Amino acid sequence: MSTQKGGYTPSLEKFLDGLKSRPVQASVDLLVSLLKRRQIKGSEACATATAHILLQIVARDKWTNVDQLLGRIQLIGRKLVAAQPHELATGNIVRRILGLIRDEASEDRNDATTDSLRPASPPVPVPSQTSSPQKPVRPPALASIGSFARTQSMFNLLSDPNVFPSTGSNTSTPGQVSGASTPILNPQATNVSALRSEVIDGIQEIMDEIKMVDEQVQTYADIFIHTGDYILVYQPSRMVQKFLARAASKRKFTVFLVVDPSSAIDADNQYASLFKSMVSSGSNVITILNAGLMAYMSRVDKVILGARAITAQGGVVVDAGAAAIARAARERRRSVIVLGGVYKLSPECKLLPESQIEWGDPSKYVRFADGSLVSHVKVKNAVSEFLPADHVDTYVTNLGAHAQENLHTIITDHYKEEDIKFELYGKAQR
Amino acid sequence: MSQSKGGRGGAAAKGKKSGKTGGEEQREAALQALIADDFQTRFLPFSLDKPRCLLPLANTPLIEYTLEFLAMNDVKEVFIYCGAHSEQIENYIHNSRWLPIAQSGPFSVLEFIRVADARSRPRWSRIIGSDFLLVHGDLVSNLSLEGALAAHRARREANRDSCMTMVLREASEGEHHTKTRTKTPVFIVDPRKNRCLHYEETNPFQADHYVDLDPTVLEGAEAEARTDLIDAQIDICTPDVLALWSESFDYELPRANFLHGVLKDWELNGKLIHTEIVTEGYSARATNLQMYDAISHDVLRGWAYPFTPDCNLLNGQTYHLQRDNVYQEDDVFVGDYAEIIDAVLGRDTHVGSNSIIQNSIIGRNCKIGNNVRITNSIIWGGAEIGDDAVVEHAIIADMGYVGKGAAVREGSLVSRGVCIAENIDIAPTTVLSLLTHDRKSLDSEPGVVGAQGKGAIFQYPEEDEAGPEELARLENSLIFNLDRFDIDDSSVSSIGDDDFSDDESEAASATPSQPTARSRLSSFASDDSGAPNFSSFHADAVHGLLEVLRGSVGDFDSEKLEFTSLRLANNASDVAMRKAVATAFVRRAVELMNTESGGVDAVKAAKETLTSRAGASDFVADVGVGGDSVSDQLEFALAIQRACVSTTKTMEVGKAGNLLAAMLQQMYDLDILEEEGLVAWWEDARGKEGEVMPVVRAKCQPLIEWLENAEEESDEEEETDEDDD
Repeated sequence: MSTQKGGYTPSLEKFLDGLKSRPVQASVDLLVSLLKRRQIKGSEACATATAHILLQIVARDKWTNVDQLLGRIQLIGRKLVAAQPHELATGNIVRRILGLIRDEASEDRNDATTDSLRPASPPVPVPSQTSSPQKPVRPPALASIGSFARTQSMFNLLSDPNVFPSTGSNTSTPGQVSGASTPILNPQATNVSALRSEVIDGIQEIMDEIKMVDEQVQTYADIFIHTGDYILVYQPSRMVQKFLARAASKRKFTVFLVVDPSSAIDADNQYASLFKSMVSSGSNVITILNAGLMAYMSRVDKVILGARAITAQGGVVVDAGAAAIARAARERRRSVIVLGGVYKLSPECKLLPESQIEWGDPSKYVRFADGSLVSHVKVKNAVSEFLPADHVDTYVTNLGAHAQENLHTIITDHYKEEDIKFELYGKAQR
Repeated sequence: MSQSKGGRGGAAAKGKKSGKTGGEEQREAALQALIADDFQTRFLPFSLDKPRCLLPLANTPLIEYTLEFLAMNDVKEVFIYCGAHSEQIENYIHNSRWLPIAQSGPFSVLEFIRVADARSRPRWSRIIGSDFLLVHGDLVSNLSLEGALAAHRARREANRDSCMTMVLREASEGEHHTKTRTKTPVFIVDPRKNRCLHYEETNPFQADHYVDLDPTVLEGAEAEARTDLIDAQIDICTPDVLALWSESFDYELPRANFLHGVLKDWELNGKLIHTEIVTEGYSARATNLQMYDAISHDVLRGWAYPFTPDCNLLNGQTYHLQRDNVYQEDDVFVGDYAEIIDAVLGRDTHVGSNSIIQNSIIGRNCKIGNNVRITNSIIWGGAEIGDDAVVEHAIIADMGYVGKGAAVREGSLVSRGVCIAENIDIAPTTVLSLLTHDRKSLDSEPGVVGAQGKGAIFQYPEEDEAGPEELARLENSLIFNLDRFDIDDSSVSSIGDDDFSDDESEAASATPSQPTARSRLSSFASDDSGAPNFSSFHADAVHGLLEVLRGSVGDFDSEKLEFTSLRLANNASDVAMRKAVATAFVRRAVELMNTESGGVDAVKAAKETLTSRAGASDFVADVGVGGDSVSDQLEFALAIQRACVSTTKTMEVGKAGNLLAAMLQQMYDLDILEEEGLVAWWEDARGKEGEVMPVVRAKCQPLIEWLENAEEESDEEEETDEDDD
């Protein structure tokens, strides 16, 4: 119903469409209310929206030095996280972008000492190779080409004299500027505009990373799925489905598709493409309801779950119902594999497991029409669940497979120490 | 069948104008919404100094939910039409995040419509250009209107007379706490076309639960009678609706008046109204305190997801969910061993040790002492509950104070600033306020709130219009409880199939032959109120008569004319007329007895009522009694008796008895009633039924005895005896 016509209901697409025509602050407010109303939900959508809005701030807000920009991003980041504290991806993206700005800024400072008159355009592609180790994994050429057209349009914004006066003339003819006070300002201004474009590039790369996570993760499929395996998946996300489909293109195996009884009705439509691609390549799909799960566990070789978020300690936020499966798998000593992009990996270390459970609309289990149940029975419907680290064997991200111990190195690679300490969650996580 | 042909014809006509509709399509990009106010006062005493839509539901003003709902459905232009306290609502909105400054809010237009502008047609048509949503400021909903809007547009394209789509939420046939229980809306729907054919409201005080249908409605249509719907009054309207509305000034309530009227006159106006029955999502209106209570708990339990308290709709709210389903804001202090389950706690609230809070909503800055027990209650900001106090299923408004060891029992309403002294036990369903219903300050009643307390029992204003008093009483109360009322709570069971005749003649004429049915109801006012038209006749007639009796307008000659026309228009029965006349005169007498400048006694009141206005006694004789026969007089005396009995809710029974005696005596003196009639009344069994009837009647014993003794004596002596009572 909600998908027909593209319609009136606000959504991520509509939000992104209107992003450029709206003032930045209006976009922030709109995103906050969309997050609150859960009209943008899911870690991928939240991460994408966050990256876009922060890109707008970097590109269109007036800022004259790095600290100002960092402060602004932190402020907006707090707002976004407060709007939907259960989506850790929002905070991750905020922290990644903060780290990115710090990197670029420190590089600029180094550059400024060596040669202070660095031209602002054209943007130097990926000057931060050394600092972000995810780049070698991803084909860098593809990323920069994909984002180039967009970068250009961002550049049009930059040349807007209202946004940043005097940039053009200063960068092109720095020597002509007269007076003794300006030479101090000038290199700064140059740096700001250079920094701006570099940060924008960096954010574009993060967006591309989010977009390509599915493709990158699925390249590891044949390492984990072997011919004749019995794989159990629970309400597979798009990423898990692609992962299975990729493996099925090379090998024949059996998938147990577990669906929650409450959503079993539309399961066939939802997973139709999965069925099709599996069966066409000769693999089997067996749908089982959550209730009958334990009986199958002895046959299962591996359990594959899609993560909503992964914490630094290795705990995983999963769809409600998956934790029980992981527990069952653990009883039987089956391996549990969690799939998720690096952007889902949260450095937040003060999270309480119970605060990560989001409670949703009970009407999934009890019809609101059922008056006596609604009046007299307390019904709670968890949207997400927390899976402790010891229930997971392997984490597969776009960087490859990791054990729990390795997660820390990924975090230190991707986040700056000062951003990890930064309190995004305020008092909400007490 | 004929109407579907008409529909196709309409579609063809529409096709020619496709160029124009294309232009409309452009404008539809901005969906408009009108937030209306239905001027009902079911939130007294809380709505005295604050409009209902600003009252907090789960610590967020009601209107926030409504505006969020509109924003969620991508409404761009919002018009707010408010009655009472409009300046407060305007202030609130002007200081809120909704104001369309620099594109920051989701709305591009947010305007207020003053009551003065509301009736003028040009103003409406200037602002409302296309389809719009009509909602109320007390709506809590998370429905997506996508489907309903698409269906509405398709229907309108096909037939431009499809002027309205009502979005209704399916609920269960039986008990459901989010369904209004004081009124059951009955929708007769054609399930194939989703067309609404007929609408009625029934209430628990009706003698019978029938809905009368005009058989022509059913021609060529299937019909389902639905009583299982939650009607949150979300309507998608075309501008035609505004035209229809302003055509008729009688329409007050959007459902009972407007919808019922438009559907009834379908053959005249040719407008089609459709329903969109949804089975997912939440929608409800806080129309009265019971609904307010129910919605509060629904929100607390997540039914209105994503609008849960931890959604933090307002800027600055910091709710987050903790264990045991407790939504807590920052800086809340909870003492040791306090047991809190299913609750909302606002910022800076302090809960003492060993206190128990269950299923309750506590506002900001509340001070809750030690060993307090609060269950199923709603406490607004700034309230203070002393140590060892108990609050059970009550509402305590902002700045309320409950002293140490005091208790507020079930169904009580404690209005703003009321102060209950230590160790006072407030009985169930007590309503306390500092203000009267016309906003004068009330003197404190130390007997109720204690010597140091502030506040007194709140008296609801007497309603001259709209229906039985019990219904009003029930709607005003927090807890829906029919035990206090003696009624038969059967559900709507079948559809009456009598022919073209309108409903009230059936209902009213049926009653005299069913004495048992009427005596089941303790009150005369709710008697045979089955058909809405009948009760509207009653209300209109009583209202008109009262006006004349008070001397504010007209005289009895013109009133007689008006009354007769009203009677003919409504096809009201003799019973209904007698009832109306009797009620009006008795109410006037009661008014005289209760005036603020010190009431007069019953005899003077009766005399004043019947003689002060020229033609009053003739009117009673001609219209009220309506004939010389003994049976007519008997019936009228009985009507007077019932009217007196119905006043016992506001008056002591003894006084009502005195009034009855005085009225009858006065009528005898004025030759309206004669000896035979009164004696026949005295002997009639119907006057002795029930509990209150005989008590009231007993006061007339001396009158009847005197009548019987004086039978031989000459009539002249009346004049000297009359004031001895």
